[in-house]
Amino acid sequence: MAPVAAVLTAVGRALRRGQKSVWSVAGNNFFLVSAVVMQDAGVFIYLLIGVVILFPLSADPLLKIPAPRLKLLPLTGRELWILRAASPWVNPVTWAIAALGIWAARGKVTAGLWGLAAGMVAAALALSAFGVAPGYGLWRHVPGFPGRLNQLVRKNLRQMLSTLDLCCAVLLAAAAAAFRLTMPALPPDAILILTVLVVLALSSYAGALFGLDGAGGRSRYRLLPVPGWQLLAAKDAAFLAIVVPLTLPLAPLAGLSAALVALAASRNRAVNLPREQVRWRFSTGAGNLEDAMGGLAQAGVMIMAAASVYFVSPLFLAPCIAAWAGSLWWFGRTLDRAFRAEEAQEEVGRFRRPMPRGAEARV
Amino acid sequence: MTTISCRQLTRRFGDFLAVDGVTFQVEAGSICAFLGPNGAGKSTTLKMLSGIEPPSSGEVEVCGLDVRSRSIELKLRIGVLPEDLGLFDDLTVEEHLSLIGDVYGLSRRVSRDRASQLLRALGLEHGRHTFAAACSHGMRKKTSFAMALLPNPEVLFLDEPFEAIDPVTSKIMRDLLQSVAARGITVFFTSHVLSTVEQIATQLIMIRKGRIVWDTPAAEVPVPLEQHYFDLVEAPVVEEIEWLRSPRS
Repeated sequence: MAPVAAVLTAVGRALRRGQKSVWSVAGNNFFLVSAVVMQDAGVFIYLLIGVVILFPLSADPLLKIPAPRLKLLPLTGRELWILRAASPWVNPVTWAIAALGIWAARGKVTAGLWGLAAGMVAAALALSAFGVAPGYGLWRHVPGFPGRLNQLVRKNLRQMLSTLDLCCAVLLAAAAAAFRLTMPALPPDAILILTVLVVLALSSYAGALFGLDGAGGRSRYRLLPVPGWQLLAAKDAAFLAIVVPLTLPLAPLAGLSAALVALAASRNRAVNLPREQVRWRFSTGAGNLEDAMGGLAQAGVMIMAAASVYFVSPLFLAPCIAAWAGSLWWFGRTLDRAFRAEEAQEEVGRFRRPMPRGAEARV
Repeated sequence: MTTISCRQLTRRFGDFLAVDGVTFQVEAGSICAFLGPNGAGKSTTLKMLSGIEPPSSGEVEVCGLDVRSRSIELKLRIGVLPEDLGLFDDLTVEEHLSLIGDVYGLSRRVSRDRASQLLRALGLEHGRHTFAAACSHGMRKKTSFAMALLPNPEVLFLDEPFEAIDPVTSKIMRDLLQSVAARGITVFFTSHVLSTVEQIATQLIMIRKGRIVWDTPAAEVPVPLEQHYFDLVEAPVVEEIEWLRSPRS
């Protein structure tokens, strides 16, 4: 059992250093707002978190070990199964979700539903164990776009497809659309709230636009003869290409205004404070209380914009567009400088620390 | 005609001096090899020359343009194979080349034709639809090399182009570089593969601890280059590791 314990210790250490699973939930606008505003009424949201976060690639700590390395370790078949069963419990997110699930479901969930939940967890782990994961095959079919930024927009869209924010938004939008179909007389307030929730689920990504590009991607941006505002526009185009269809069955203009405001309000964070993101996790912008407050403020402005367009006049879309265009122009100018500063930062890190950046995230 | 010119080029990271007052020139049509041990300042110098990294002090001109301005005009005239290859995980090999064709203003037809030729030449044709994330390191490097060549630039900056490349592709890359240099394109590359350097370089610059220790035309290089490198840059010290001599001890 000593090899299993050694591997679990290393996985636990890597998880503690990464802490991205925890922060990806704690620092996500959607969950911040749900926790602060909805509280007990947000049971559905919390259950949604549970379902999405148990998505195989987000919860499996064994993925901290590169697959070839895992195969090379001198472990017997029995030890591998023990490792498989024990590894989820070195992830603090598993404990947090289990506690949240028990609290949210107290007295409301039957034994059958508990069985279903256990089955889902087992299925998620089995899927992960057998390496069944959403891959690049589906992304190949992401269509091209007109213009010289075609491939950049396509890439950005594929990046968004690999975040759990999108899974959450799609589940919400699908649930809302189904609800609307079965209950045509849905109150206007509810339509607006559902629309804002869908955009809110994606809003943290607006502040982490460059988080999935990696060091190689950032290098390429510096080399491309493309002005900063166009790089941002390519990011925004992908963001809007997802938000608009998702809000179509609800309140599309309100959704568009909220999306534009989300992009404008989080521009500073996206450009000047880029935060590396992890695929198949929730995007996160909050690393501390100040960031979290910023996320809440962003959500507040989004709600105001959407409500103004929805309840007062569609003309309120104009200031939203103006704010977005202004942020594009201003932060496009600062983008090159931000990349340059970041490059220098990476170099300092490389010379001072022997461990390459990000290496601590893997065993 | 001088294509690359730098004077007293310096790069400081905090209190660490990565490049210390480097001065040299490279003529048009040259293939300049920039040599030195790991951490000597090769990649940092290349980054400063290609405009990726701003110098702390000193002057750099490429194609007569001040690199500090990092202008779009300069970027349009150079091709770069960066240290980290500069690839996006979410694009395929072919899509990367299409990206370059689009942003450098090539027509779709020209871009497609050039991409096909490069993919064929570099043995990437079978993997053209593979996503960068799924490519081997060699494939990624060849993709980045093809991206540098596709816009047919005036100057090529290549950071370790021959490392992790199979011998056949390495030969093809050498031939490509020699043919573009014959047309007047300047090639500036870093490498640890001294046998390849010996074959193609027309100018050699060696750097050690951020300082140039040697800058000479390749024709004047005493053969073998390896011995000269050990003399000038650093000599290998082989330490005896006793426990490696007996298995499972």
